[in-house]
Amino acid sequence: MSSIKKRHIDIKWIVILGIVAFLFVFEVVPLFNLLISSFFPKGTFSLESFKRVYTYDLNWTALKNTLITSGLTTIFGVMLAFPLAFLVGRTDMYGKKFFRTLFVVTYMVPPYVGAMAWLRLLNPKAGVLNKFLMNIFHLQKAPFNIYTIAGMVWVLTCFFYPYAFITISRAMEKMDPSLEEASKISGASPLKTLMTVTVPMMTPSIIAAGLLVFVASASVFGIPSIIGAPGKIYTVTTRIIDFVHIGSEEGLNDAMALAVFLMLIANVVLYITTFVIGKRQFITMSGKSTRPNIVELGKWRLPVTAIVSIFSFFVVILPFITVALTSFTVNMGKPIGLSNMSLAAWEKVFSRASIVSSTKNSIIAGIAAAFFGIVISCVMAYLLQRTNVKGKKIPDFLITLGSGTPSVTIALALIISMSGKFKINIYNTLSIMIVAYMIKYMMMGMRTVVSAMSQVHPSLEEAAQISGANWLQMLKDVTVPLIGASIVAGFFLIFMPSFYELTMSTLLYSSNTKTIGYELYIYQTYHSQQVASALATAILIFVIIINYVLNKLTKGQFSI
Amino acid sequence: MKKKFLWLFMIMAALVLTACGGKGSGATSDSKNAEIKGKVVIYTSMYEDIIDNVKGKLKKEFPNLEVEFFQGGTGTLQSKVAAEMQANKLGADILMVAEPSYSLELKEKGVLHSYVSKNVENLALDYDKEGYWYPVRILNMVLAYNPEKYKKEQVAQSFDEFSKREDLKGKISIPDPLKSGTALAAVSALTEKYGEAYFETLAKQNPVVESGSVAVTKLETGEAAQIMILEESILKKREEESSALEVIYPTDGVISTPSTIMTIKEELSANKNIKAAEALTDWFLSPVGQEAIVAGWMHSVLKNPEKAPYDAKNTSEILNSVMKINWENTYRNREQLRKIFEKHVVK
Repeated sequence: MSSIKKRHIDIKWIVILGIVAFLFVFEVVPLFNLLISSFFPKGTFSLESFKRVYTYDLNWTALKNTLITSGLTTIFGVMLAFPLAFLVGRTDMYGKKFFRTLFVVTYMVPPYVGAMAWLRLLNPKAGVLNKFLMNIFHLQKAPFNIYTIAGMVWVLTCFFYPYAFITISRAMEKMDPSLEEASKISGASPLKTLMTVTVPMMTPSIIAAGLLVFVASASVFGIPSIIGAPGKIYTVTTRIIDFVHIGSEEGLNDAMALAVFLMLIANVVLYITTFVIGKRQFITMSGKSTRPNIVELGKWRLPVTAIVSIFSFFVVILPFITVALTSFTVNMGKPIGLSNMSLAAWEKVFSRASIVSSTKNSIIAGIAAAFFGIVISCVMAYLLQRTNVKGKKIPDFLITLGSGTPSVTIALALIISMSGKFKINIYNTLSIMIVAYMIKYMMMGMRTVVSAMSQVHPSLEEAAQISGANWLQMLKDVTVPLIGASIVAGFFLIFMPSFYELTMSTLLYSSNTKTIGYELYIYQTYHSQQVASALATAILIFVIIINYVLNKLTKGQFSI
Repeated sequence: MKKKFLWLFMIMAALVLTACGGKGSGATSDSKNAEIKGKVVIYTSMYEDIIDNVKGKLKKEFPNLEVEFFQGGTGTLQSKVAAEMQANKLGADILMVAEPSYSLELKEKGVLHSYVSKNVENLALDYDKEGYWYPVRILNMVLAYNPEKYKKEQVAQSFDEFSKREDLKGKISIPDPLKSGTALAAVSALTEKYGEAYFETLAKQNPVVESGSVAVTKLETGEAAQIMILEESILKKREEESSALEVIYPTDGVISTPSTIMTIKEELSANKNIKAAEALTDWFLSPVGQEAIVAGWMHSVLKNPEKAPYDAKNTSEILNSVMKINWENTYRNREQLRKIFEKHVVK
């Protein structure tokens, strides 16, 4: 009996140690190595790059812009995501399933593409939507200008609210309805129940969701580079990439010195989150009832559906129609019509050998990163929620640190450290990308699984163990089935951004390991926007098919 | 239901096209370069389309050599090389990036291999006499506009005018010297000719800093009235998409950048295939190699080239009216030039 018990502990510890070792070798060492290099630019200690970077006005403006844009995006993202998640998960609104898929679509395509779509729609001089509104309302001036902080926050929100939506709706659907029922029985109105019971119960998930949105929007490069730069709104990431593009050691050092700021912010946010979540622990799934009650919208059913439809049209459908139409356009300055349409861009997407091999690379790297990432996430969820091990926050901290670190810093750190300097040489291989993607995106998966796990009452697992199941059996028979949907969702939360990843791939790819995100970026920026649009549309179709197949195969249980 | 079919169709189409695309033309074995074997990796800032074209020709010429291209903007490639140099091994054997000042730097750092090509006699431009680098294509920074949206009189005819014309304010775009070597060359040339004041004046025009395809699209949609851009971007558009966009060769001089080819020193190179690298250098500097360059809308570096790129002004005519660039200065003052640009334009 005692020997069996000993073995349980062994398995657990081997797995946990494995994770810590992985994070240590591929995250801590490289980042530390890079940090050290930034303090010791030429082998000797010097604060020169810090002084240079932090005394420069433009960098301060960039810091300010980053805080403003990602702060506002977090607020708007959560404010959008919560009601949407509630409507989809807990009411009898029409077309709930359809909307659920629609709301996460923007997560599935590179944000860069959305930025291009909105730039086409809302630029102040030739924006299609602007022109349309000017014609209808006889306006002298374009009503919207995308090249502003507001414009940037709009696009960021459109692309990052799904992070919050996914997290919140998962938690909401798994919520124990008995507390809400109790509130109603005691005479509270549905609204009062929502405000006094549902929202407080959801607090940890809402905060976790906000953290995801904040970190993602603070470290994104595509949107600020496309929308911010023409309006001279620089963010920390665009500045870092600029420094990197200088291509000198000094540039690298400056980039690193600036990157320290993003790490710092990510950590502050993390600590606040941990503090708040740590103080209020809610168990919302007891295992007795897992089907939350549905709020009947009554006479509001149709109007609410209409509002949500209009919202989805502008946030999701319109930008993608724009991108899809662009892919068929010959001359983007002329109106769409048969004479101005061609399949040339699509032909290139399917015939270019480099696009085909990039797609293969991205699928392999994405699946590998998601698979290993989700395994780690599950173990982390167990570690955080079910054990009292000292130092369990260390891997949690490292995973969050990784996702808060700007992609470009991770990539540089890996290049410098993984080319044989520390006996590991994975440079120019797909492995270095898989590692980079895991470090950057694992947190998405981890937060999803952790928040699902936080709602499974330990009594269910204890019951299994009392009945004689060992640790692995218990996980297989009780825990995993209960949080299975979250695991699949978590897998895709890691897979999708890895699949179309851009910033890190730009530095890590070699001629054999080019990725689809980089291919898209290059076509978008340098070669042809039409080919880029066709590629983006193809990615979107691919992702929707995956989601659809997954949904069918699992009878509606598993999809994002 | 219809949608499902559409998807299915797309997948089928993708599969079929992929299967077809996989088969390349078989190489001929009786080529004179059959003894050149192994693998060579080239870092280049050339367009993907041009690489595809060049690859085909190389396959015929060097049937037993595997040539891999790694494409990126000069800035990206420079950071990659800088990072790789910290690890003391490069991923490339040959570099074909934007401008000579970077070649001067790499030569000084002892990264390059010296080889005197048999084709130097025919070169129309300066090259490194010790054989560390050669010009391999000419890239011209010009102005461009869209005659369907603006009349020629409405846009600037010179770089000087471009920085001053009030009516172009807020409607112009320029490339980024951090990301592109030719853009850095432009900053260098304009600073040399007009002093730092050029960028002070230009800044008042509120120019947007952006890359090729983004800028060209804005010219097409009318969002921008005029842009400073590489000639090849416009020529490509004209030939491939029958675009009406037009090149203006500035009256104060075209900013002409001879983009270089360099071989990495054997011990630092990825495949240690110096023999092949030398053969490739010769090929690129030969009439056949230059033909591929011209087909890619860039100008030949040879004396009396057979033809100019599609719709382009004659090469010799351009070379007679170029704005002066001091590459040594561009290299030594690179940081300074970038700062001038950033101080005035970016801010």
